[in-house]
Amino acid sequence: MSDKIKDKSLGMWYLSGILGGVKITFAHLIKNLFSPSERVTLNYPEEQHTYSPRFKGNHILTVKNDGSLRCTACMLCATNCPADCISIVASEHADPHVEKFPVKYEIDILRCVYCGFCEEACPVDAIRMGPEWQIPDLADGNFIYDIQHLAYRPQLKGGIISVVDEQERHQAGI
Amino acid sequence: MSEIKILSQYYDKPEFQFLEGYKQNGGYQMLEKALKMQPQEIIDMVKASGLRGRGGAGFPTGMKWGFLPKNGEPRYLLCNADEGEPGTFKDRMMMEKAPHQLVESMIISSFAVDSHKSYIYVRGEYYKSISILNKAIEEAYKAGYLGKNILGSGFDHDMDVYQGAGAYICGEETGLISSLEGKKGQPKLKPPFPAIQGYLKKPTIVNNVETLASVIPILRDGVQEYRKYGTEKSPGTKLFSLSGNVKKPGNYELALGYPLKSLIYDLGGGIKAGRSLKAVIPGGSSAPVLTAEEVEKANLDYESLSGLGSMLGSGAVIVIDDSQCMVDCLANLTHFYHHESCGQCTPCREGTGWLDKITHRILAGQGRMSDIELLVKVADNMKGRTICALSDAAALPVLSFVTKFRHEFEYYVKEGRSLVKGKVLYHGQMHH
Amino acid sequence: MVKCTINGQTVEVKEGTTVIEAMHQEGMKIAHYCWHPGLSVAGVCRLCMVEIQGNPRLQVGCNTVVTEGMNINNTSDKVKEAVQWGLDFHLINHPLDCPVCDQAGECGLQDQYMEFGQYDSIMAEPKQKKHKVVDLGPTVVLDSERCILCSRCVRFTTEVSKTNELGIFNRGDHSEVGTHEGTSLDNNYSLNTVDICPVGALTSKDFRFKQRVWYLKEQKTICNGCSTGCNIKVYFNTEGFFRVKPVYNEQVNGYWMCDQGRDIYKFANKQARYQGGKRYNQGQWVTDEAPGHVAMQASKVIAQNKNKTALILTGQYTVEEYEIAIQSFLASVGNSIGIKNIYHWNSHISEINNFDGTLLRGDRNPNTKGLIKVFEKYNIQTQVEDLEKAIEAGQIDTAIVAGPEDLTYYKQSNQKMVSLISALKNIVWLQSTINPELEEKVKSNLFIIPMKSYLEKSGTFINFNGIEQSFRAVTTVMSQALTLGQAIGLMMGDQKAVLPAAETAADHAVKPFVQESRPASQVMAEERKKNEFIYKRGATNER
Repeated sequence: MSDKIKDKSLGMWYLSGILGGVKITFAHLIKNLFSPSERVTLNYPEEQHTYSPRFKGNHILTVKNDGSLRCTACMLCATNCPADCISIVASEHADPHVEKFPVKYEIDILRCVYCGFCEEACPVDAIRMGPEWQIPDLADGNFIYDIQHLAYRPQLKGGIISVVDEQERHQAGI
Repeated sequence: MSEIKILSQYYDKPEFQFLEGYKQNGGYQMLEKALKMQPQEIIDMVKASGLRGRGGAGFPTGMKWGFLPKNGEPRYLLCNADEGEPGTFKDRMMMEKAPHQLVESMIISSFAVDSHKSYIYVRGEYYKSISILNKAIEEAYKAGYLGKNILGSGFDHDMDVYQGAGAYICGEETGLISSLEGKKGQPKLKPPFPAIQGYLKKPTIVNNVETLASVIPILRDGVQEYRKYGTEKSPGTKLFSLSGNVKKPGNYELALGYPLKSLIYDLGGGIKAGRSLKAVIPGGSSAPVLTAEEVEKANLDYESLSGLGSMLGSGAVIVIDDSQCMVDCLANLTHFYHHESCGQCTPCREGTGWLDKITHRILAGQGRMSDIELLVKVADNMKGRTICALSDAAALPVLSFVTKFRHEFEYYVKEGRSLVKGKVLYHGQMHH
Repeated sequence: MVKCTINGQTVEVKEGTTVIEAMHQEGMKIAHYCWHPGLSVAGVCRLCMVEIQGNPRLQVGCNTVVTEGMNINNTSDKVKEAVQWGLDFHLINHPLDCPVCDQAGECGLQDQYMEFGQYDSIMAEPKQKKHKVVDLGPTVVLDSERCILCSRCVRFTTEVSKTNELGIFNRGDHSEVGTHEGTSLDNNYSLNTVDICPVGALTSKDFRFKQRVWYLKEQKTICNGCSTGCNIKVYFNTEGFFRVKPVYNEQVNGYWMCDQGRDIYKFANKQARYQGGKRYNQGQWVTDEAPGHVAMQASKVIAQNKNKTALILTGQYTVEEYEIAIQSFLASVGNSIGIKNIYHWNSHISEINNFDGTLLRGDRNPNTKGLIKVFEKYNIQTQVEDLEKAIEAGQIDTAIVAGPEDLTYYKQSNQKMVSLISALKNIVWLQSTINPELEEKVKSNLFIIPMKSYLEKSGTFINFNGIEQSFRAVTTVMSQALTLGQAIGLMMGDQKAVLPAAETAADHAVKPFVQESRPASQVMAEERKKNEFIYKRGATNER
């Protein structure tokens, strides 16, 4: 073993690797210096990455054509939720064709594991997981998302319209 | 061969409607005779005559009478004059031409089964029959044929006419009883059968107008004479209501076993020129349809028709010629049964509506090939699954129409229009 | 007895038994919606089809009487197909709005669908539209579209409540259940129609949308609303009690219970109850004390006034509690002076024998008979009138009142009692529910000790005709609340009365009359794996 180390040609074997690495680093340094638009990194939080619409991020409660909540308060999402983070209180709606709707729909986002089971369980496309993924906030109470946040936060621009509409279903005789 | 007029012998005499005219033609003589007999003798005669119910089911009348329990409970005789089967109009003629014939036969039958109260349940739309019957009963009361101590025999009997409210299902015997009791006209679960527990939970006999009227010729002419007409298992004569695409529709009294072809071509005058026979519904709308080939072989008696997979029913022969679209005919029938299902049993309540919707969808040119199979499946599963026979009545035409005239249905589905009429026959909105 | 063969098994049944009854007796499964053992046979759902050897047509099990040697089968392909189609016919016009339907999770249609359903719909037609959210009366809401027209509710109002409010109107697939012109479903048994409704057509206004049923646990117990002692199931979860349903008991209540009894869960819920002990002393309220501590404080006062202390008992506690309470009271107070200052307080003493003809009795205490029995054992007969005399005579200056759990029927009586004893020097009031009258009126030395509601303790009630019914604790709402035995024991200076050992021993001594059981098919929420269906398909003990 000791004999082999004495071999000088073998003692310098790492140098080519190091030089290769330095070359890449400097190449990037020069590229980034002269063409900043091709940079891979972002200046977070000033710059933010946008994910695809299929990304399972923060929850959205969809709305009907008239802007009211699509959710029927069936509680299948809450039943299916492995983190027990959804709490719903249902009530009777004045319109007999709607019948049941949530007066309270809260997601404890810090408990949420973003598994997407709620979305899967929903029979009426009332809850979706959207491309937003950031949840920083200052007060712990703000991590419990209510209806106002889930359905009508400014980012949603007045609400995401559900593909399932009660009125249409009713007219189709379903 | 021609008509055998036993029941309808004097129907063309206008005075036969009234007591005087009826008596002039031998009326109420059989009542006098019967009241001197033993009730059991009359029952035995009816049994021996082999008389079968003329309302549709063809159940032996004498046997039905024999089911009454011998326990001294009050009994009721109900006459089923709720003639609702599409195509049938014989009872109406009998009531309007010869009300006393029915009244007399009912008194005799009541005497035979020891009933002191009887009702004639008449279909709501038969205003004329009802007023004629009421008048006849009034006359009979005045003449002492009804009321206390009839003709000095010690037998008391009261009779009333009850006007139905126009539901097909009230022609079913337990539906009739429910309606008469003042309830919603819905058939009752059997057992118990009406002969054990019927009207007001008392033993009750329900017979068709024609069945009851047939008791008179049996008494008058004797069993032997009565059995001279008809076949071994279907003795006697029966009124047939001929309708549809024939030249001379109407009521014809024929000996049972009469060839169907002769009725259409000889008595009925045949089909309109330039047309040919396509199908015949031999026993009211509930009976499975017969094709032109089957008509050749068919005789008008219980056995021959059931041998062909159809039934004699109420004797309403509906003739369909080649100008008719069978899909259209079936849609008409399914709509009728959808409208008339009482809604009690699920297979019928939902099934009749389903059949109606499917046939109308096909009729509107929106059918799918699988619908034809679906019609068969739905009808198959409605058959024999309900309290009364309405479900069967709705299913049997569907099964026979679809199997025997499948090509018309397939053409309609494929082309979106009728094979016969060449156009879409239904444009309406599906009714909810 | 008649012998027959059902599905290859020889079965012996009483004469006149129908096939469906025989199968239930043997614990065999048979689909049915319209048949209910407490009602007449309607035979309209056509689901209980059976094949009987020698009969080419399938027969309905509910209207076919078993005869000697009958060979019955309901597992053949023919029957299965009939049931499957029967279910299809039920479903073609059913709205399938399970997500908003309260019955989801305990629905007959769902159960059958899991077994026989065609997962691909073959119905291409628009569904029949009917009325939704129909207000039938003060307690019940109807959804006609969900209704399968089994007519159970209609038969219930004609046969059991005999009020005849309901009927089926129109015909064919336009048929709808409804109330007759000018009436509404307003009788004291109306909520039974909700129980027997096999689907979600009839829903209770009280329970509507409060909980999904799979979040609820159930436990059998006895109703304490009156002296009939109906057997009931209480549905609850961590948020409280939510509803009450009857349990079949041939000797007591059959299949039914009254609407008033359905409210009994309300006063066991936290909101209605004393959350902690309270004391009022010289114009000062001391609140939120541990009940045991209040009892200890009371014991000091009682010790000073031993021969002037009275114990006033209502018939709302268990026999076991009475035993311990009277025993320790007599041991400490009564026997030393030879006086038995124990009184029976009944709110409706004049109406005690009233009866509405079905279930509800005038005596609104579940255990009057039990109290009388224990009184007899210790040879006590004193009533409230005797207390009045004793107070007038100045023989009493300290009262221990075991108040009622539910004040609804004790309202006037409570006022009278409070004014009767308000002048006394010391008052110890034991009650589970809040008693505003008492807190307002009493200005002397007052101790309020929160008690356990009867849903939180095990014991025995003796009903009006002497049937002893034992029950087990359903759950715990207020863990620190005391039972009557514990409270009296503490007040009499026996600190061991609250030891858990004593409690569990008493618990085990109770042999439940009402068997603790739940459907084998039901998986409790805490037992289930995540994302598992709580109700196993098909199987249910529910009739």
